[in-house]
Amino acid sequence: MSEGANGRQLAMVIDLNKCLGCQTCTIACKTLWTRGRGMEAMWWNIVNTMPGRGTPRDAFQLGGGYRDGEPVPGSLSPGRLYGEAWDFDYDTLFGPAEGPGRLRPLERDGGSPEWGPNWDEDIGGGTYPNSYFFYLPLLCMNCSKPACLEACPRSAVYRRDEDGIVLIDEERCHGYRFCMEACPYKRIYFNEERSIAQKCNSCFPRVEEGIAPACVRQCPGRARHVGYLEDPKAQVSRLVREWRVALPLRPDFEVEPNVYYVPPLSPLGFDDDGAFDEGQPRIPLEYLREMFGPTVDAALATIEAERERVASGGTSELIDVLISPRWLDMLGPLTVDPATVRPDREP
Amino acid sequence: MVGTETRGIVARPVRRPFAELVSPADPAWERAAEVAVRLLPTPLEAQPSAYVQAAWAGRPRGGIRELGVRSITSAGALLIRLSWSAPRPSRGVTDVDAFADACAVLFGDEDADLATMGSPEHRVTGWQWQSGRDRLFWFSARGLGTVERAERHDLVARSQHVDGSWRVVFGAPLDGAGGPAIDGPAARIAFAVWSGAARERAGLKSYSPEWLEFRLGGRAR
Repeated sequence: MSEGANGRQLAMVIDLNKCLGCQTCTIACKTLWTRGRGMEAMWWNIVNTMPGRGTPRDAFQLGGGYRDGEPVPGSLSPGRLYGEAWDFDYDTLFGPAEGPGRLRPLERDGGSPEWGPNWDEDIGGGTYPNSYFFYLPLLCMNCSKPACLEACPRSAVYRRDEDGIVLIDEERCHGYRFCMEACPYKRIYFNEERSIAQKCNSCFPRVEEGIAPACVRQCPGRARHVGYLEDPKAQVSRLVREWRVALPLRPDFEVEPNVYYVPPLSPLGFDDDGAFDEGQPRIPLEYLREMFGPTVDAALATIEAERERVASGGTSELIDVLISPRWLDMLGPLTVDPATVRPDREP
Repeated sequence: MVGTETRGIVARPVRRPFAELVSPADPAWERAAEVAVRLLPTPLEAQPSAYVQAAWAGRPRGGIRELGVRSITSAGALLIRLSWSAPRPSRGVTDVDAFADACAVLFGDEDADLATMGSPEHRVTGWQWQSGRDRLFWFSARGLGTVERAERHDLVARSQHVDGSWRVVFGAPLDGAGGPAIDGPAARIAFAVWSGAARERAGLKSYSPEWLEFRLGGRAR
């Protein structure tokens, strides 16, 4: 895990046990950043149901990242596999000939969509009664070893020294899309109107004013923590480095992401007789290991032990941090209320 | 009439309106001599991205191996027509995974390195056309990965795809800032072509590996 050149790395921890899948983060981001020309179908932040095929479809199977330190070739998906900004078939719904019917989404060529953001919502995996799912918010991971940055032949992708935020210089970008191929999480979008790549920018103008990113501040589930990893007292630092309960997504991609996830705890599974099976968590550990790496077992054990301690009348600093009854504690140093910042003031 | 690239390229003057000459189908182009320029794939090891080198190792690229070049001048304007076989033309960047067919003309001084697209001391300049775009790009570079593009109102390009081939005409005023710097008897010129169907972009392209001599010819016909 490396940090920005000055030793500071902005990081985010998302507690998957608290994520509601409500997409408030998604809409907060959409409202703030992706309402411009050519951005209609962009969702810099998206919450997918897992297990699932993701956004774009089969996102984690499209290559990118590294294997044994070598770049892994990636591929691009057509826009319809991200999900277009659909129109709707109002004529059929309200037309005199057909009468009331279903409001069908329409792609730009008039066809019916076969995929879209969080298309497989709440489907999940497993077989009843052992079916399961959890929500996985995704955004730019501000990787310490950003494959997108290395892929760009124009050096249009850069990582800020002051906080490790990875940004695309839209003036330098020529729309070659190597960065999109190289990102293993497929979190970079293509603006066809402007022929440039665009992605989550970690709300850097807010961060520079001491304001938390919109997805963090708007989260009604209080699932997101933000702060600087080098601060040993920061919640993100303690969750990642001290308690080791916040883990990188798909560490096998070898990009050293700086968005971390508290893995989901499972209810017990059922055996063939319908009784609880003590040895079988509902979410298969093998799947969680694939998603969060081999240390997920230890992370889950730590959380369960601390939770048990609290249930038994004890106290747990870890559980206190995960709950964070004082919301502002989750925002680290980024506690400024955006309503108090005048947009028209001198920088 | 087809010549060889070793003779270089000569822009002969004609007496026809510029507005008609920018059409790739204008009859004046059929009377202009065509030079067949051999193209090669750009070297993969020269790509300034480890990802591109890894992702394109073993993949076909630079498949367009010949370019037809004709050039004429008219009333202070320079026009260059490029043509090449494109049986599967790309009509532009029509989707996230679609890439444009494109071609470019490059000008450089006698000390400019073509393989590196110029250097900090020796800038190269040129024009690039992309399918699906109304306007061409004027660009300059001082080394690999340093291309800076701009749209200039005094540069025009017209294209047509006919009989499985692209024909693209570039037009620019000879004394304009966007044109080639032809200070002496000859300038140096090079070419590049990108196949959208082959997903070529950036430094992945077919190119003429050596500078060619470019001269302005004699009397108008």
